[in-house]
Amino acid sequence: MKNPTIFLVFAAFVLAASFQPASAEGGNLLIKNGTILTVTQGIIAKGDILILNGIIRQIGENINPPAGVKVIEASGKFVLPGIIDSHTHIALAGTNEGSEAITPEADVGAVINADDTAILTALSGGVTMAHTMHGSANPIGGPNVVLKMKWGKPSEDLVVTEALRTLKFALGENVKQSSRTILPGGPPPRYPQTRMGVNAIMRREFLRAQNYMAAWDRYNKLKASKIPPKILLPPRRDLRLEVLADLLRGKMVARCHDYQATEALEFIGLAKEFGFKIAAFEHAWEAYKIADELAGEKIGISVFADSWAYKMEAAEGIAYDAGYCAKKGVLVSINSDSGERIRRLFNDASKTMKYGGLSENEALSLITINPAIQLGVDRIVGSLEVGKQADIAIFNEHPMSAYARCDMTIIDGDAYFDRAALLREREEAAKKAEVAKKGGRP
Amino acid sequence: MPKSARPLIMLTILALGALAWTSPADVGPTYAIRNAKIVPVAGPVVEKGILIIRDGLIESVGPSDKIAIPEDAEVIEAAGMAAYPGLISAHTHLLLEEPAAPAGGAQQVPSITLPGAAQPNTPAGTPDVLAFGLLKPKKSTLDSFLRAGFTTVLVAPNRGIIQGQSVVVDLNGEDPEPMVVKNPAALHINFTTNRGGYPSSLMGTIAYIRQSFLDAEGYALAQAVYAKNLKGMKRPVFNPFLEALRPYVRDKKPVVFQCNNVEDIKRALKIVDEFKLNAMLSHVNEAWRDASVLKKTPIPLLVTLDFRPPSGSLFVNQGEDLRKKAEAEIYPANPSNLAKEGIAFALTTFGLNDGSTALKNIQSAIKAGLSPEQALRALTIQPAQYLGLAAQLGSLEPGKIANVILAKGEIFDEKTQIDKVFVDGILWKF
Repeated sequence: MKNPTIFLVFAAFVLAASFQPASAEGGNLLIKNGTILTVTQGIIAKGDILILNGIIRQIGENINPPAGVKVIEASGKFVLPGIIDSHTHIALAGTNEGSEAITPEADVGAVINADDTAILTALSGGVTMAHTMHGSANPIGGPNVVLKMKWGKPSEDLVVTEALRTLKFALGENVKQSSRTILPGGPPPRYPQTRMGVNAIMRREFLRAQNYMAAWDRYNKLKASKIPPKILLPPRRDLRLEVLADLLRGKMVARCHDYQATEALEFIGLAKEFGFKIAAFEHAWEAYKIADELAGEKIGISVFADSWAYKMEAAEGIAYDAGYCAKKGVLVSINSDSGERIRRLFNDASKTMKYGGLSENEALSLITINPAIQLGVDRIVGSLEVGKQADIAIFNEHPMSAYARCDMTIIDGDAYFDRAALLREREEAAKKAEVAKKGGRP
Repeated sequence: MPKSARPLIMLTILALGALAWTSPADVGPTYAIRNAKIVPVAGPVVEKGILIIRDGLIESVGPSDKIAIPEDAEVIEAAGMAAYPGLISAHTHLLLEEPAAPAGGAQQVPSITLPGAAQPNTPAGTPDVLAFGLLKPKKSTLDSFLRAGFTTVLVAPNRGIIQGQSVVVDLNGEDPEPMVVKNPAALHINFTTNRGGYPSSLMGTIAYIRQSFLDAEGYALAQAVYAKNLKGMKRPVFNPFLEALRPYVRDKKPVVFQCNNVEDIKRALKIVDEFKLNAMLSHVNEAWRDASVLKKTPIPLLVTLDFRPPSGSLFVNQGEDLRKKAEAEIYPANPSNLAKEGIAFALTTFGLNDGSTALKNIQSAIKAGLSPEQALRALTIQPAQYLGLAAQLGSLEPGKIANVILAKGEIFDEKTQIDKVFVDGILWKF
């Protein structure tokens, strides 16, 4: 920023868009006297959490603040793990490489947009982490990325490198419809236009990936042999096939957009045939029909709470999908798939208490520890435990209450959203603007 | 024939050959600019000096009492005026007339398009397109930039992702050939998408660029191995797309990435690092937001004087007041913010279609904190160095190309007017 004056004027205009976290305390905080919902280790009715260097160091009662550590008074409030959205598309410059059906080279991690105000929206709903994904226009989309909602930080600081590498797949209508020419003069029709075509093109690509791996194995073997051939050129390096090869080698896991039970079972068949792992089906409106199969294969689902039947292939969705599958032992998460609903994930999760009979803690798990397990980050986040990263939300009420509201969102021990501070700032800016209007100097 | 006569004949033939290049008609005029304040950029300012131009080059320059005015010189009285080297804009799309249909040449990297995939309406990559072949200079454009003091511009092709190769020209007329200073100058890449074809998204574009360089590396390797095994090896299939990229991966000729926002800079740096390219980053009007990264790299920056914020910027999607502020104050401070961080850069007129806007924007950058000296260097010696033309351009020194401007006052003052412009040693007639 050029000079302090400009910064002040600027701050007055962009209340929401402060460049720094609401309170950067270098990752040191003591949260006192809150009701602590650890998710994995029960509830502490009135307790403290000590955070040093962004890590939870102590959870208990009557913890004294070390010198220089800021104290956040949370009496009467609920302290929970930062909410994790297992499926969204925020903070990206572009969602689909829709020109072709098979695009595993198109990596959303390459097009992160840390300026997206949806990050702020997410923070206002207690969300600290999101799995931001390639769209569902293609049978094989591209690699996804897991981000922390560190508003104001450079994009590379948002990336969660500890997370599983995931690859987006999609089945059904989105893929089929994306292959049609809708407007005259639009792109020519694309293969595949049927569900059987979707399965077939995936098989074709996996076979190509197997050939690719074999070609490289042959080359490496020859190169390492005692008397390598005089003329030996490496095979073409193909970014598209390299990603698929990584999936087949187990270095990545599949996340597959799916509505109908039948196509999910077919995809599970492909995974078995080619030996790759499916971490979760996305949306999975008919998962309740195949809950036993999913639980048996240890495949999770990431679903909406109750907004089914918005298109024909979602017609057999039911509000009990998430709750029923969770009771059947399927690893379930509730997702937003949106830059707006992302701030109301706690409302959506709570619906599983009515539809499916989950307990408060089970419902809260659907947006904390469960998505953390799906993303392979449960070692570092997803619950309030000593040693985990201090991604924490503070609510006025129990988050599964209809009256719940997020008051503060903390990532790595720094507050990135502070409702009270923002409201104060907004009032002050309004006053300044009023003075300026009357011709005075702010 | 006596033995001793032979060298003489050889000499005569050589002399005749040389004459073909410098026939009397090609000899440019001689000028003596006197009583001017001379700002050579490469050395100290001469308060009252003489600058001699002969046949397109600067013959001598120095204080009035040290330089003799040649008898054959046309004397230009320049009391009250200041002489500067002509300004250089190291990235433009000026002077191009492109065919309605995109230029021919290679289409995409062939093997990246699968059967059944959408066929692109326009090629995403045309590395074999030369901007030189598309030059169509117009007097009005030349006048507009010469009036602002620009005598040299880099012209790059402006279509597609891998756009083609640029040319550096002196603005000395409407005939392309005598204008050329360097061709090709660089390969140009833009982080854009291909409407109606692959790649239609930015992530696809990044993959496309990487795959193209990977294929170029593979192609260069195959050609190199073939060169050593001409007997006994089947020749690699010729590919004009990859052939055009080969000098940029093999010989490390310069590659310019057009970085339209803060994230594009990081995207470019990753690709540069992956393929060890000899790169320059252009546009970069959000470079100040990446200062901590850019400080650590020696990669040249070609910073645009176009201060319009990129679409989707944090500063444009939160209300009209902030957008105006961004355009008037925040973005014009980009050059001065870089200067404060000790980051070197050249300024360009990229995105601007007339010289007066460029001049006005230089003044905005100075108002935002850039010193006039820094601005001058960033438009003369710095771009000359980045383009590999420091021996010929960028300062007023004997032997350099006589691109000289005479201004009535300090060059970037709002009231100053450019009085005379010499391009390749010839006084431009507006």
